[in-house]
Amino acid sequence: MKGNIVRRSILDGITVTVLGLVLISIVVDPTTEQLMNLKFNSFLFLALMVFGAMLSHLLNSIFGIKTLGQNLFEPDYEKAKAEAKPIYRTFWGWHFIVTLIVLFVVGLSKTQFSIIELLDEDGFEGAKRLFAGIFNPNWGVLPAAVLNIIETIFMAFLATMLAIPFAFILSFMAAKNIMRGPVSFGVYLFIRTFLNVTRSVEALVWAIIFSVWVGIGPFAGMLALMIHSIASLTKQYSEMVETVYEGPIEGVQSCGANKLQTIWFAIVPQVILPYISFTVYRWDINVRMATIIGLVGGGGIGTMLIKYQGQAMWPEVGTIIVVIAAVVWIMDQASAYIREALK
Amino acid sequence: MSEPVLKIRNLIKTYPNGVQALKGVSFDVKKGEFLVVIGLSGSGKSTLLRCINRLHDPTSGEIVFNGVDAAKLQTTSEVRSLRKRIGMIFQHFNLIPRHTVLGNVLVGKLAYTSTWKSLFGLFSEGDKADALKYLKLVGISEKAHIRADQLSGGQQQRVAIARALTQNPEVLLADEPVASLDPATCHVVMDYLRKVNQELGITIICNLHFLSLVRIYATRVIALKGGELVYEGDPKNIDQAWFEKIYGEGAKEVHIN
Ligand SMILES: Nc1ncnc2c1ncn2[C@@H]1O[C@H](COP(=O)(O)OP(=O)(O)OP(=O)(O)O)[C@@H](O)[C@H]1O
Ligand SMILES: [Mg+2]
Repeated sequence: MKGNIVRRSILDGITVTVLGLVLISIVVDPTTEQLMNLKFNSFLFLALMVFGAMLSHLLNSIFGIKTLGQNLFEPDYEKAKAEAKPIYRTFWGWHFIVTLIVLFVVGLSKTQFSIIELLDEDGFEGAKRLFAGIFNPNWGVLPAAVLNIIETIFMAFLATMLAIPFAFILSFMAAKNIMRGPVSFGVYLFIRTFLNVTRSVEALVWAIIFSVWVGIGPFAGMLALMIHSIASLTKQYSEMVETVYEGPIEGVQSCGANKLQTIWFAIVPQVILPYISFTVYRWDINVRMATIIGLVGGGGIGTMLIKYQGQAMWPEVGTIIVVIAAVVWIMDQASAYIREALK
Repeated sequence: MSEPVLKIRNLIKTYPNGVQALKGVSFDVKKGEFLVVIGLSGSGKSTLLRCINRLHDPTSGEIVFNGVDAAKLQTTSEVRSLRKRIGMIFQHFNLIPRHTVLGNVLVGKLAYTSTWKSLFGLFSEGDKADALKYLKLVGISEKAHIRADQLSGGQQQRVAIARALTQNPEVLLADEPVASLDPATCHVVMDYLRKVNQELGITIICNLHFLSLVRIYATRVIALKGGELVYEGDPKNIDQAWFEKIYGEGAKEVHIN
């Protein structure tokens, strides 16, 4: 089966499943016990998926009615054939609109969205107290906040620096145009998969892991950021490697250069500026992430923030927020200027 | 007649996408000649040159270079020592834009330098002297410390020639070396190739599009059409009838001066 048909069936299957499950929930109004029955619900889910995929096939192939999945995933030459019709006069358009509305309504119900809570007197008073505190910062904690944010900045800096050599080397091994040949391609696939898994684990989760491993503090936060930076930088770097010009590579190879020499002389000069640019941006991102990571015990300003927040000491929290905002803004500007200059 | 440097026999190249770019080409390349390959776009000229130095792997056939079949070389180190003795220049020069002219020419010494030394740019004084010597030969030694992307097209192609010469090759492959240059610069570059051919005695195999250039520079011509050899001989003997056979009915020759 062709890839676009698989994708179409999955997307249409999922939309039908969502609509079906919502409909069933409204009609049956299931109890919590029924909702927690994983086995039966999985079966129901699968059955609806299959039904949806079949329905999609029926509509597209037999009746020639375009579903959302077909419209999105059909190959370009098919897309070129379609006549221009306003979206509300197409089946796929309504398919999309109805799905979107249903998702929105379910979202409202799932998040317990409530105007009443938002305007509730007690809650509102609490928020007012919080804001009053935050807007009257206690500058007494400023020296401690500055010390802590310096810790955070260096946590981010060290994580970025330590990630560079790993990411640099891995980036070539994760680039398709370098890893030709059966063995190389195997290595390529392995590294890609490994990095994707590493990256899909949030830095926050890495911080939790390392705070157990090496103890709560900036070292754990730094390690978490480093792992995450290696995975992210490798991906960005290797995408640059995949877009280099073939010309210099052929030129260097024609002189009898080996693989390492070819990478160093033909590819590195082409990617070095984007590499630096990505790295500066990564440091900037890492400063922000380091703050968040501090909240779960990664050290630095985040840990300080969570301490005062836990005791509802809002004026102190206000000072910390001001310090974080200032540093993040400065980093953001600086990294933007540096990246602009590197173009 | 002296022993040929290259004997190509029944060379076939089929690309992974199924295109058969060469359908059994056979010819000899004599030592010291300036052999020009002509043919329509897509006739397989670039493929032919890239098979000779194994930038592409031939599907079958023989490429006998100094008594060894280059088509059968298996290991990358064997292929590299083949490339070391066969220089190549390209239509788009294929220099490293961000490196200096001298740095680019030293790339020709990579095959002679250990990996670690070359990664740190530690080329020997002899290598540097060699590089400068060939830059002087193509008349741009005064640009040695300028970045390659600061040069004009014609100058870049001369740097590319110097790079290939620094390899100390026996054969120089040139894939449409003047196709992206203006007519005047075109002759400058072709004159340097002729100088390399006549003064250094390096055998040249060159793809060209313009017959007017072929008549001036080639000592012998072969023509490809649809991946097959359709002409082999003296450039002076390409008359209208041959011209139409190579380029198709009703084709007209354009002249550049
Ligand atoms: N890497 C490749 N993969 C697949 N097919 C290719 C590849 N390179 C060339 N071809 C095909 O092989 C045939 C010969 O191409 P080649 O580049 O050798 O021709 P050429 O004579 O050099 O043409 P031009 O004058 O345009 O440079 C063409 O049909 C081309 O499409
Ligand atoms: Mg070509």
